[in-house]
Amino acid sequence: MRELWRKLRYRLHREEFENDLVEEMRHHLAMSAAQRGGSDAASRQFGNMTLLREESRSMWTWTLWEQFLQDLRYGLRAMAANPLFTAIAALSLALGIGANTAIFSFMDAILLQTLSVKNPHELVIFHWRAKGSPGVIHSVHGSMFEDGAHGQTSPNFTYQAFLNLRQSPETLSTLFAYITAYRLNVIAEKQAEHAQGQWVSGGFYRGLGVTPAVGRLIDDNDDRTGAPPVAVLSWEYWNRRFNANPALVGQAILVNNQPFTVIGVSNPEFFGVNPGMHPQVYLPLHALPLLATRVDQNEQNYFFDPHFYWVEMMGRLQPGVSRKQAEVTLAAKFLQFAKSTAESAKEREEYPSLWLEDGAGGLDSLRREYSKPLLVLMGMVGLILMIACANIASLLLARTSARRREIAVRLSMGAARMRVIRQLLTESLLLSLIGGLAGLLVAAWGIRSLILLLSNGKEEFALHASLNFPVLLFTFGLAVITGTLFGLAPALQSTRVDLTSALKQVRANEPGTRARRFGLGQALVTAQIALSLLLVVGAGLFDRTVANLHAVNLGFNRENLLLFALDARQAGYKDAALGHFYGDLLTRFRQIPGVTSAGLSQFPLAAYYWNSTEIRIPGNSKSGSEVATSVVDPGFLPTMQIPILLGRGLEERDVTSPRVAVVTERFAKKFFDGKNPVGQRFGLDKDGPADIEIVGVARTSLYNSVKEKETPPVVYLPYTQDLKGLTRVYYELRVSGDPLALVPAVRRIVHEVGPNVPLAEVKTQAALMDETIGKERTFAQLCSGFAALALIIACVGLYGTMAYTVARRTSAIGIRMALGAMRGQIVWMVLREVLAVAAVGVAAGLAAAWGMSRFVESYLFGMKQHDPVVLTGAVLVLIAAAGVAGFAPAWRAARIDPLVALRHE
Amino acid sequence: MLVLKTLARLGEMHGYGIAQHIQQNSNDVLQVEEGSLYPALQRMLIKGWVVAEWRQSDSNRRARFYRLTADGRKQLAAEVKEFDRVMSAIVRVIHPA
Repeated sequence: MRELWRKLRYRLHREEFENDLVEEMRHHLAMSAAQRGGSDAASRQFGNMTLLREESRSMWTWTLWEQFLQDLRYGLRAMAANPLFTAIAALSLALGIGANTAIFSFMDAILLQTLSVKNPHELVIFHWRAKGSPGVIHSVHGSMFEDGAHGQTSPNFTYQAFLNLRQSPETLSTLFAYITAYRLNVIAEKQAEHAQGQWVSGGFYRGLGVTPAVGRLIDDNDDRTGAPPVAVLSWEYWNRRFNANPALVGQAILVNNQPFTVIGVSNPEFFGVNPGMHPQVYLPLHALPLLATRVDQNEQNYFFDPHFYWVEMMGRLQPGVSRKQAEVTLAAKFLQFAKSTAESAKEREEYPSLWLEDGAGGLDSLRREYSKPLLVLMGMVGLILMIACANIASLLLARTSARRREIAVRLSMGAARMRVIRQLLTESLLLSLIGGLAGLLVAAWGIRSLILLLSNGKEEFALHASLNFPVLLFTFGLAVITGTLFGLAPALQSTRVDLTSALKQVRANEPGTRARRFGLGQALVTAQIALSLLLVVGAGLFDRTVANLHAVNLGFNRENLLLFALDARQAGYKDAALGHFYGDLLTRFRQIPGVTSAGLSQFPLAAYYWNSTEIRIPGNSKSGSEVATSVVDPGFLPTMQIPILLGRGLEERDVTSPRVAVVTERFAKKFFDGKNPVGQRFGLDKDGPADIEIVGVARTSLYNSVKEKETPPVVYLPYTQDLKGLTRVYYELRVSGDPLALVPAVRRIVHEVGPNVPLAEVKTQAALMDETIGKERTFAQLCSGFAALALIIACVGLYGTMAYTVARRTSAIGIRMALGAMRGQIVWMVLREVLAVAAVGVAAGLAAAWGMSRFVESYLFGMKQHDPVVLTGAVLVLIAAAGVAGFAPAWRAARIDPLVALRHE
Repeated sequence: MLVLKTLARLGEMHGYGIAQHIQQNSNDVLQVEEGSLYPALQRMLIKGWVVAEWRQSDSNRRARFYRLTADGRKQLAAEVKEFDRVMSAIVRVIHPA
């Protein structure tokens, strides 16, 4: 102990010690020189001074350190000698650590991170909810979602409610409003490009505490009727598109063909209030009517209609006021407001009730969409980590037991017990460290591919997920602890061995202790098999889901179709000119070599688009029910290869006299009991005449998505029927060959005809539809990957354990063979053990799968959670895998030469 | 052992003095590289058998004097005993009675 202290002191005063030594040696030399009459002779007599100093120094330094290096070298040598073991152990650790870190980093980004604004924990988001549909709300523009027992909930309010609630100084220090502007066409420097837009109230930036990086930000003075239109750019957009040009501030840009003056750029940390969307252009709310595409989008409706719910709000609580307190006050205030807008008994039946949500994390659209899938994924990777840890444990257990003899030799040669344990510990830690480092790579790679998987082709996906170090440390720590525990437990046991007996056992064969030790090893392998079964079942369920989704009868041909969207209204084309523009483009697209046919529609089929309206059919009992509409050109149905069953399809003449429609078979069945509806007339406006003539019946095809339970009755209308409502259209080009090869030609044509109209969502119909089942595909791919991984790890674990059993029982098997056992019997003997372990694991796994599959039920399509095919398949896969893993050791057992085996004793 | 013995006899001495003493007392038979004395002294410092102190030497130079500690005396006794045991064994082998 005192020696350690002295050494520590040496550490601290190293220089002093060294100087002492040098001076002392010099003194010696001087004395010696004086006596011998020459410094040369003295030096010769003294020896190499540097070497001696070196020697002295090494005496003071740590032997522990030296030994650690020794252990490390030995550990590396042991690893190199057993590369399979090392690779498997490190790989399974790396995958466990990496997958968990990656998934959790996402959870962190989506569920836990706060907005990068001033004091985000003071922010609250406003919502209302109602069981039914309150009469005071005539229309909602925005989002609405099911809120469990509470009914519907929505974040959209009327502007009057915003003004009303803003006057709540006792609870709110500030209240501001915003609404997404979706995709804007921003024309600047003679280039037209799409950008994400956001409408904000004058108090938006001040309320969030966001500062400008350049110029100034939107304030109350910019957000009022008649104010000159201004725009603020995000830092990222300003840098990317405008090369951070400071001269841009003060200049005008065209937003949907309307001039807006850029007044500033927000600071680099600010990405908006929705973590899943990073708006690039911010415009004041009162500029909304400037970009109206419909007559009803006027100032009166937006800012004075007390029944039109559209604007979203966020507030900052006064210091010391809790969210619940504020909710009580503000809900009462909002109720009062809602009551004041009710004009009839029907409108007084139910009022929306206000509630506040914590706003620290920003808007929750991402959370709603991904929190459940992420939890399921988190569960899956958790299983992987467990399997990996069990694997490490069983491998280390088997290996350390196999090294009992080596340890006994070391002990008998005089190695201290601590020294041996330390060495084993170093080896486990080394292994964990390698696994952890590889895990870091896996995590980084995993995050990248997860972003790709989750974003799923969406252009505006803007999630920031970075490596989460606390999680990395946690999983790494877990791996280290597992490694240490299972590396050390057998080590402790081994070092207590009775040396003589351990040395004598050339191949340990102790039937007495076998059962107990093997209990742990086998339990670990059983657990691995059970966990693997869970993952295999999951993979089976998701794979079948995707297969089912792909097998859905679409009613159209989704292959070889190129899709893209254009919005020429945003570039200044209006009504008739817009119709001509779209029609001319279509004619030119049809002339591209390789295009066999082309059509356009308001939105693509089976891509989550939906437009429905009430139909009026004079004299029809079902008049007034909802029908889905699709606005198309005459080329659309032939291009999609949807056949006309009765009458005719839309033709070019319908473009000029458009009061006609083609309906689907489902429509005919619903409204005309399957009788021929051709020649019948209907109306889609509340007040207009029922003058739309049905000219044909098309075969029913998917409308909203491959997951739709019931395809609605659809009417196909010529796009020229409602020119005022015509905005964005999608073009569908049927192509011979690779659809994407035609993109440059399409771009060139669009640029020639309308240089200010940017192309959007360029992709194939197949890719678009795959996106709609992206979650299922992601799950299927990830889960299949995870299952394969788990299976491999478990099989390796099983193989390792069995190989070790066989090695231990070499002599027993030798005796059996000497006594006349056949090879087949020996193989069966070993395999039986493997299958017993597998059977127990499978049974446990099945029970767990039965209980846990309800968590994924909502992601399944076209089958039940306890799908017998999947369950049987999974069991068979596992038994087969176990058999394969067990066969190699069994075969080796059967090839044991009885003479060799017995000579070992 | 020789260093310890020297220090036991001389009480306090610096490195050069110890080397001289060993050389003279062994009638120049035990001539080692004088420098190797110093690592040995360092080891004894670590073990706590000796302590060192800077002082003026007889020739008015600053020198580091070593002195035996209690541990050092114990160690010397143990080593002398062991030496005697081995020595007598060797003697018995070489000059059988």
